[in-house]
Amino acid sequence: MTAERLPAAQTPDEEETLPGRRGGLDFLGTLTIAWRAILGSPLRSVLTALGVIIGVAAVIALTAIGSGSTAGITKSLESLGTNLLTVQSGAPRFGGGGLVRGGPQQTITMKDVEAIGTFAPNRIAGVAPSSQSNVQAKVGSSNLQATVIGTWPAYETVRNSPVATGSFFTQDDVDGRKRVAVVGYQIVTDLFDGQDPVGQKIRLGNVSFTIVGTLPDKGNTGFGNPNAQVLVPLSTFQQRLSRGARSGTSVTVSNVYVQATDKDDLTNLQNDLTDLLARQHRIEDASSYDFNVQNQADALASLNATTQTLTLLVGAIAGISLVVGGIGIMNIMLVSVTERTREIGVRKALGAKPRDILTQFLVEASLLSVGGGLVGLALGVGCAYLGTLVNITPVFSPATILVAFAFSALVGIFFGYYPASRAARLDPVDSLRYE
Amino acid sequence: MSDLVLSLRAVEKTYLTGDVEFQALRGVDLDVRAGEMLALMGPSGSGKTTLMQIIGLLDRPTEGTYLLGGRDVTDLTENERAEARNREIGFVFQAFHLLPRLDLLENVEVPLTYAGIPAYERRERALEMLDRVGLASKARNLPSQISGGQKQRVAVARALAGRPRLLLADEPTGNLDTRTSEEIMALFTELNGEGTTVVIVTHEPDIAEYTRRVVRVRDGLVESDTTHTPRAGVRT
Repeated sequence: MTAERLPAAQTPDEEETLPGRRGGLDFLGTLTIAWRAILGSPLRSVLTALGVIIGVAAVIALTAIGSGSTAGITKSLESLGTNLLTVQSGAPRFGGGGLVRGGPQQTITMKDVEAIGTFAPNRIAGVAPSSQSNVQAKVGSSNLQATVIGTWPAYETVRNSPVATGSFFTQDDVDGRKRVAVVGYQIVTDLFDGQDPVGQKIRLGNVSFTIVGTLPDKGNTGFGNPNAQVLVPLSTFQQRLSRGARSGTSVTVSNVYVQATDKDDLTNLQNDLTDLLARQHRIEDASSYDFNVQNQADALASLNATTQTLTLLVGAIAGISLVVGGIGIMNIMLVSVTERTREIGVRKALGAKPRDILTQFLVEASLLSVGGGLVGLALGVGCAYLGTLVNITPVFSPATILVAFAFSALVGIFFGYYPASRAARLDPVDSLRYE
Repeated sequence: MSDLVLSLRAVEKTYLTGDVEFQALRGVDLDVRAGEMLALMGPSGSGKTTLMQIIGLLDRPTEGTYLLGGRDVTDLTENERAEARNREIGFVFQAFHLLPRLDLLENVEVPLTYAGIPAYERRERALEMLDRVGLASKARNLPSQISGGQKQRVAVARALAGRPRLLLADEPTGNLDTRTSEEIMALFTELNGEGTTVVIVTHEPDIAEYTRRVVRVRDGLVESDTTHTPRAGVRT
């Protein structure tokens, strides 16, 4: 009897009871079905996932560039000197003001500088008043626009700016108003073809200076160009180069850098210096101060606060784009369910349960969004490295990457659920007849 | 009694479209024994499609009872009906309904997949079935690459892959030319000769000539239930 060999009618005694039957569709099978559907229309799948791709890429790239530039700024802030207080002209500003130069009117006088210098010698490691102006630097026929800073020898330690070759100018140079200069890296490369210029002459404005030292390459940290700096004695600067900045009868400076001996004393010293200058300027009301004392730690803190706000904003934008991407997925999945109504009908006729169909479409949507997340991840990392073109080294945070990725997967499940449940609820009779 | 594959008693089906009631079936009694091959005939609007859908567990009767293989399947839940369709019934449709993105072998595997049969066994059984309908050599072709007659053969292979109790064919030759129709009918005859119970829904008298038993439906009732000597199928 051939019925044994061939798929013929079962005899009743060899049959199991229906509900006890093992099985249903296994996960691998579901995955294969979904994968085939995605590969079946590659262009549409890419377009569907595009929202998620862009969303994830945006989060990863923007946060990496954001933290990269924060790290860069933090590093350059710290390289400006440690335990640093900066006394500037202008009313105090709160939040982020430390990066901006003082107001137009210079109010810090040399008398203030003296007062600071004698105020608390054991708490202060160094004082370096400074004034600056943009001057043409000339050697032979070549020239460039240099930032000439008049200051004291303490600048070397207070601003963490040691020389690369030669030596810093001395207190004698300041006292004698000598025309000596320490030049930045770009002066060496552009005006001396990279040769050590110590002992050579350089014209700053109309005044000839002798170069006694050079500064190392400080890179372009985003605060003007420190490589185009020329440091000269403050006294020489005031006599020969400044445009006679004065307050009353007293000569003024742009700012005064003060290095505290002890890091923990920084805030107290900041308050004490503020009180001192208030007495010097005879101002009692804090709201009418014409100077301010910036603390490096404050600047860092406000920078961090700014960065955090930015990160939040980026996160919000990315979240929105992921939601939009999810709606894109839902949209296409709805179209796809309608288009594949017949397929759904056939599958149901062949034994697919509503659950099987639900899982199939849900897995398809999730695969799309997870795939989109992966592509977005790669794209985001690639885009972040574009930041190196503007000297920002991207910093990737595993947490951000993980969250962006997990979120994209969730988006697929969330927005895939409605189309999938619609597919699952389709009536087999209607869907088989669907043209 | 136990050799009854299906048994319908006083089956009624009423559709409600808006406020209008339409009674598609008005009390159908039908018994099909194991190993039978019968044609379910009737003009359009006779209720034969509705009857097919109820037999195929795609739809449920409003009144009456339906025993499939001795088990009452009248009031199964949706999931239970899906399982019963998967296990007990092999569908062959007029428009073939192969899944366009799957190759022939994968198409035949579909019901086995939903039965939870492991991949290796699935493949083997599907290949066996494709071989049975003479298309094993095209196992990796897509449905778009084969002719209509071949598609219907694949559909038959798919219908039988899960070793169902009943092969239910809805106008299986409706989209085929005469010669190919004859081949498909010959295949059904052959399968029936091997013990498969076959129910063919058709409105073509030519097709009904192949089956020993012909059940005619009209206005929601069984009009006649006759047996005659079937025409021999063309050998393929």
